[in-house]
Amino acid sequence: MANRIAILGAGPGGYTAAVKAAQMGADVTVIEKDSAGGTCLNRGCIPSKVMITTAELLEKIKKAESYGIALEGSARADMPALMERKNRIVKAQTDGILNLLKHNRVNYIQGTGLIRGNNLAAVRTEKGEEHQVPWDKFIIAAGTRPFELPELPFDGERIISSDHALNLHEVPESVLIVGGGVIGCEFAFLLSALGAGVTVVEAMSRMLPLPSVDEDCSKILQREMKKRKIGFMVNRTVAGAEEKGGKLNVEIRPSSFAGDSSKKGEEPSFQQVDKILVCIGRTPVTSGIEGLDSLGVRTGGRGWILANEKLETGNPDVYAVGDILGPSKIMLAHAAWAEGMTAAQNAMGGEKSMNYDIVPGAIFTSPEVANVGLTETRAREEGYRVRADSALFRPLGKAQALGEIAGQAKIISETDSGRVLGVHIIGPHATDLIAEAALALNMKATVRDLAETIHAHPTLPEIMMETSMKAMDQPLHG
Amino acid sequence: MKAVDELLIPEDLRFGKNHELIRPENGHTRTGISDYAQDQLGEIVYVELPQIGDEFKKDEAFATIESVKTVSEIYMPVGGEIIEINNAVEDSPDLINQSPYEKGRLVVIRPSDESESETLENTANSTKPNGTRHLKLCG
Repeated sequence: MANRIAILGAGPGGYTAAVKAAQMGADVTVIEKDSAGGTCLNRGCIPSKVMITTAELLEKIKKAESYGIALEGSARADMPALMERKNRIVKAQTDGILNLLKHNRVNYIQGTGLIRGNNLAAVRTEKGEEHQVPWDKFIIAAGTRPFELPELPFDGERIISSDHALNLHEVPESVLIVGGGVIGCEFAFLLSALGAGVTVVEAMSRMLPLPSVDEDCSKILQREMKKRKIGFMVNRTVAGAEEKGGKLNVEIRPSSFAGDSSKKGEEPSFQQVDKILVCIGRTPVTSGIEGLDSLGVRTGGRGWILANEKLETGNPDVYAVGDILGPSKIMLAHAAWAEGMTAAQNAMGGEKSMNYDIVPGAIFTSPEVANVGLTETRAREEGYRVRADSALFRPLGKAQALGEIAGQAKIISETDSGRVLGVHIIGPHATDLIAEAALALNMKATVRDLAETIHAHPTLPEIMMETSMKAMDQPLHG
Repeated sequence: MKAVDELLIPEDLRFGKNHELIRPENGHTRTGISDYAQDQLGEIVYVELPQIGDEFKKDEAFATIESVKTVSEIYMPVGGEIIEINNAVEDSPDLINQSPYEKGRLVVIRPSDESESETLENTANSTKPNGTRHLKLCG
C-alpha cells in the first residue's frame, strides 16, 4: 500500500486530502507556496465574507431609522480597520489549518513545489534551499489565479483583480466590474454598500449567467441592483480602457455572445471610472508548476488538469483535486473538500468516486442566492416530468422582522412522485437555507416530506415548508 | 382595505385584465394601476419601470411593483412604445398608493394600435372586482 503521499497545495482540496490520508496511516507531506487555506481562505471565500459582513452592517446602519434607532451623525466604512479585521480572521483560520495538519502529523513545507520525475518532488524555499520529497502517490491541488484579459492587464491600482479588491485601503469613488458572474456580482453589492459607484458589464444576457442559477434568481437580483443604484449592462463587453483626465475611459461594446444585437446596441459607449475590477473567471496555475510535464498528466484548455470521477489523472500514481480541475468539475471550496477526501482514499487503495449531482451553490450577494440540484430547464432536458413552484419571502414574519423581504424560493419536483430535484433560493440567508434542500435531495425526499416536517416559527426555513405545500397544491398562506 | 364605494374610479379611464388602466390623451395613453389594485397590494415599496423607447405587446409585462405583501408584474393594457416614465414613483413608490391616477401613474405609452384601447373595459364595468382580476405574483 502507498505510504508516502505528497500534496501540492494546502487549499481546501489539499489540506483535506492531507488530513484524511494521514488519518488513514499515510506519511503525508504538503507543499504550499503561499499560505495555508489557498484561494478560499486567503483570496476568496473568507476575506470576501468578512468584507460583505461589514458592508451589509453598514447598509443596515444607514437604514437605522427604519429599525427604530435614532443615529446621530453618519456611518462610513473604515477600510484600514476593515482590512485589519479581515487579516486577523484569515490569520486565525490559517493557524487553525496549520494546527490541524500538525495534529495529524502532516509534514507541512513552505516553498515552491517542483516535480523531479515520477516519485520525486522537491520544495524550493525562500532562501533558495531545495528539499527532496519522495512520494508513492502525488495529489495536485495547486489551484488557480484570476484570469487576465490582454486588453486589461492588471496593474494592481487602476485595473485590478479580485485579489487586489480584497486588499483595498480606501473605497473607490467609481468602479466598473467586468463580468457579472458570482465574483463580479458579490463585489458589485459589496463595493456599492461600502459607498462606491458600481457598474457591472456582462457579456451574456443576464447577471449570474450560470447554467446552475435559475433565471428568476437573476431577474430578481437585477431588480435588487436597480434598487441599490448598481448599474449593469448585459450583452456587453469591455473593449479596452485608457487614462483620460485622471480617470479610466472605458470602451464598452456589444458582446459577441449577444447574438442578434439591436441597432442602438451596436454603437460603443464610454464610461469614466476610477478603477476596473476584472472578474471573468480563473485560470489554472499549471504552467507555473516546474516539471509537471514529466508526470504525463493530461491537460485541457487553459491548462486545466483532466481527471476522471476517481480524480485519477493520466498517471496512475497522480491525482488532482480542486479548482485546477476547471469548470468541467465544480470550482467551489466544498467540492474541493469532497474531492480531497475522495483522492486521499483512492491514493490509499480505495475505489471512491465523486458525485457532483448534489453540490449546493452559494452566492453572497444581497440578497443571497443559493441553489442545489437541477433547474427546471435542465430537469426537462434530462427527461423528467416536473413542476416548478415558488413562494415569496415577504409573507414570512421573520423576513418582515429582519427588514429583508425580497426574494423567493423555488422547488423543482417530479410531477408524479413529488421527489425534489432542485431548489433555487434568492433571499435572506439563502446560503444557509440551501442546506435543508441539499439534504432533501441527498435523501431523495419528496415535497410531502418537506411539507410535513414541522419548521420552527418564526424562521426563514418556513419558506421551504410553504413552497413544498404549494408543490402539493395545498398552499396554506396563498 | 377600501370598501367598493370608497374606491376612486374616474370615468375617463379604461381598465385592462389585471387592473392596469389607461387614460387616452391625444394619441398616447397615461398608464398605471387602479385604486383597487394599489389598495390590494398594500404599502408599495419599489417600482421597476421600463426604459423610454422600450416596446411591448399588449398583455406583456412592462413593470414590476413590490409591496410589503407581494410582488406583482404589470402588463401592457395596450401594445406600444414607452415614451415617458414617471421617475417620481421610482424614488417615492408610495405615490402610487396616494395618487394612483395622477402622481402615481407609471408610464405614457404610444399605442401601436389605437383600436386595442377600445377592447378595454370602461369604468362602468370595473367597479366590482371579480375573481379574474387578481394580480399575479412574480417573485
